[in-house]
Amino acid sequence: MERRIALKSMALAVGALANLPAWASGWTKESVVQTGFLSADQAKNLTAIVETMIPKTDTPGAGELGVSDFVQKMVKDCYDSKTQTGFASGISNLDEQSVQKFGKSFADSSKDQRLQLLKEFEASSDPTQKGFFSLTKNLTIQGYMTSEYVMTNITHYEMVPARYHGCVPVKK
Amino acid sequence: MANFNIDSKKDRTYDAIVIGSGISGGWSAKELTEKGLKTLVLERGRDVQHIKDYPTTNMMPWEFPHREKLPKEITDANPIASRCYNFKESSAHFFVKDNEHPYVQEKPFDWLRGYQVGGKSLLWARQTQRWSKYDFEGPARDKFAVEWPISYDDIAPWYSHVEKFAGITGNKDGLDSLPDGEFLKPHELNCVEKYFKEQVSKQYKDRHIIIGRAAHITDPQQIHLDQGRAKCQHRTICERGCPFGGYFSSNSSTIPWAMKTGNLTLRPHSVVHSIIYDDKKQKASGVRVIDATTNQMMEFYADIIFVNAAALNTNLVLMNSTSSRFPNGLGNDSGVLGKYVAFHNYRASVSGEYEGFLDSTTDGRRPNGGYIPRFRNVYKQETDFLRGYAAGFSAYRQTSNDRSGLGESLKEGLQSTRYGNWGVGSHMMGETIPKESNYVALDKTQKDAWGIPLLNISVDYDDNDEKMIKDYVEQVSEMFTNAGFKNVKAHDGKRNPGNDIHEMGGVRMGKDPKTSLLNKWNQLHTCKNVFVTDGACMTSTSTQNPSLTYMALSARAVDYAVKQMKAKNL
Ligand SMILES: Cc1cc2nc3c(=O)[nH]c(=O)nc-3n(C[C@H](O)[C@H](O)[C@H](O)COP(=O)(O)OP(=O)(O)OC[C@H]3O[C@@H](n4cnc5c(N)ncnc54)[C@H](O)[C@@H]3O)c2cc1C
Ligand code: SF4
Repeated sequence: MERRIALKSMALAVGALANLPAWASGWTKESVVQTGFLSADQAKNLTAIVETMIPKTDTPGAGELGVSDFVQKMVKDCYDSKTQTGFASGISNLDEQSVQKFGKSFADSSKDQRLQLLKEFEASSDPTQKGFFSLTKNLTIQGYMTSEYVMTNITHYEMVPARYHGCVPVKK
Repeated sequence: MANFNIDSKKDRTYDAIVIGSGISGGWSAKELTEKGLKTLVLERGRDVQHIKDYPTTNMMPWEFPHREKLPKEITDANPIASRCYNFKESSAHFFVKDNEHPYVQEKPFDWLRGYQVGGKSLLWARQTQRWSKYDFEGPARDKFAVEWPISYDDIAPWYSHVEKFAGITGNKDGLDSLPDGEFLKPHELNCVEKYFKEQVSKQYKDRHIIIGRAAHITDPQQIHLDQGRAKCQHRTICERGCPFGGYFSSNSSTIPWAMKTGNLTLRPHSVVHSIIYDDKKQKASGVRVIDATTNQMMEFYADIIFVNAAALNTNLVLMNSTSSRFPNGLGNDSGVLGKYVAFHNYRASVSGEYEGFLDSTTDGRRPNGGYIPRFRNVYKQETDFLRGYAAGFSAYRQTSNDRSGLGESLKEGLQSTRYGNWGVGSHMMGETIPKESNYVALDKTQKDAWGIPLLNISVDYDDNDEKMIKDYVEQVSEMFTNAGFKNVKAHDGKRNPGNDIHEMGGVRMGKDPKTSLLNKWNQLHTCKNVFVTDGACMTSTSTQNPSLTYMALSARAVDYAVKQMKAKNL
């Protein structure tokens, strides 16, 4: 941990982060949050979706960890426009289902109701609903597992392992 | 040619000029400056200083907005660079972008480049094996290309010379098909790799599994500490540039070393246009450069010139260096300049699983892998294809998380690791045969942003390569199956030539000036003060990763050039 902090401050000391090439200037933490393409309603529902998928327990859930911003950014930057449209309408579609069934927006429905709706999408025979579900779930898992919280507190990512042992017992 | 008077000719005159600051140029510069020559290194790209200019080196995974995936806008704009496994969010700034430096693909060829101080030495995978005597004897024995003018014994001391300075980890394996070098402590093979090694040596007399030889400091010696480099910390994010100098790059090693002598002038943003030939003196007198920031053409002068622009760019520079004496390119009386380009064939891979050692795993990370030295046609021609292949071999414990379910059950599943079988994998590194029909040439009409003709690349696989792929797949699948690996699958990725990033030839060495450009000292037969020591000089390609050989040839050629210069022979 100490080593990690030392390295970080070394990077800052030499001003490394300021030296990014122009085309990569999106690489700062702040910009992750800014570049949305969903409407405010869709974004709110997306936060509810990721939090439903990976909820707060004794550790933070995906909502609190900002995973929805990550999901949104990935879809916007790394996928084609067809996938983007499908993704945005998937969220709206999920919201409509929620209003129809429970008379409430997805974000305002109860935890069980939200889970039920997502499970219906997962099991749906409609390929667009199914596709929307698996894209969102995969990105949510990726965003959660690679979040600072999880990598620091749960999976204990080591920037500098300083070793390789070719044969150690599996920890039970 | 305006503004010629920005400084006097004297100020633009050096003892030696090196074109390019990558792996080979860095070595030329180090050796020249250490021998006391005032040396100018011309580099077309920007300066990249060790640590200071590694913007991503200390970023945590979560600090990359796309977690290493590149935005579609960038992959769409760079289809060629995007086919390199190492072009990603943390390293893309060290790669040439497709549209900035176009070339003509007469046949599909992935030309992957790094234009900056350090060249591709920041990005490379750092595998460094010596050639064996069988590699140098290959063309003469098996009757292809032309005979090498040097043997293993000529280069062996220079391998030692560069290995000690660069820092190479490896094991003394005692194989005559892959000579041992000056090694630092080896990395460890893991249990399944060791198991495979035992199985293979029981079943085949002539096949071996060894730990890779790689340019990592596992055990720093005084010479590495003197360079300001430290022990490799096993981060395995080397392509971002290593703040410890744990792996060899021009930026962490040769360039700062040359700088410390006080004899180096490093000039980034200097696009070499051509080499100037002086008819009266009957030798090269200097280099024409276009300053990339001002677009001005200027000239620099020196007694000796080392061309280290990386194989295909070195061809381009020489072809573009025309004069009344050399209308077809510098040193090109034979007409073979640009021809006999060859590369490595990395197309096929084989994977599998092993159900043993289930109570074991690995710990930490290893910036290296296992290696299977070439075993085909080593001592004599014995198959229906020429030459052979080496292969990578690595094993890893497969782990996964339970990704089923939703809500709390999903969260729980994600937080615990499940161990699966071990995975094993291999990829081939095949030798391709240099052929006249595989060539590069200047495009007749199209020019780049600096008015230099675009490079036309016409390089392809042939029947020999297809046969070799088939043999690799059969042999490695058999070795895997015999070792008890399950689920063995072969895959031909059909990658384009060039994607291995080991392009070579075009300015080959040889004994006869009628069929080669360079003599045994990497010196142009017909323009004695110009030396080529990057991949362009290679007569044949072997199966080993090439860069260690470029380093050794560079150091050897500088030693000769300086002796000749002092004896007033140049
Ligand atoms: C991802 C990757 C993995 C690799 N793995 C390995 C490996 O494991 N082992 C191995 O041996 N090799 C490996 N390589 C290949 C290795 O990087 C090259 O063989 C090596 O860098 C070649 O050295 P060089 O000096 O010829 O060229 P470079 O290192 O490319 O340097 C050439 C320099 O010349 C400059 N230049 C070009 N044209 C001009 C001009 N007209 N004027 C001025 N300057 C010019 C360029 O900007 C560049 O800086 C790998 C490469 C990559 C990209
Ligand atoms: S593996 Fe070694 S050389 Fe590579 S980044 Fe890590 S410390 Fe540096």
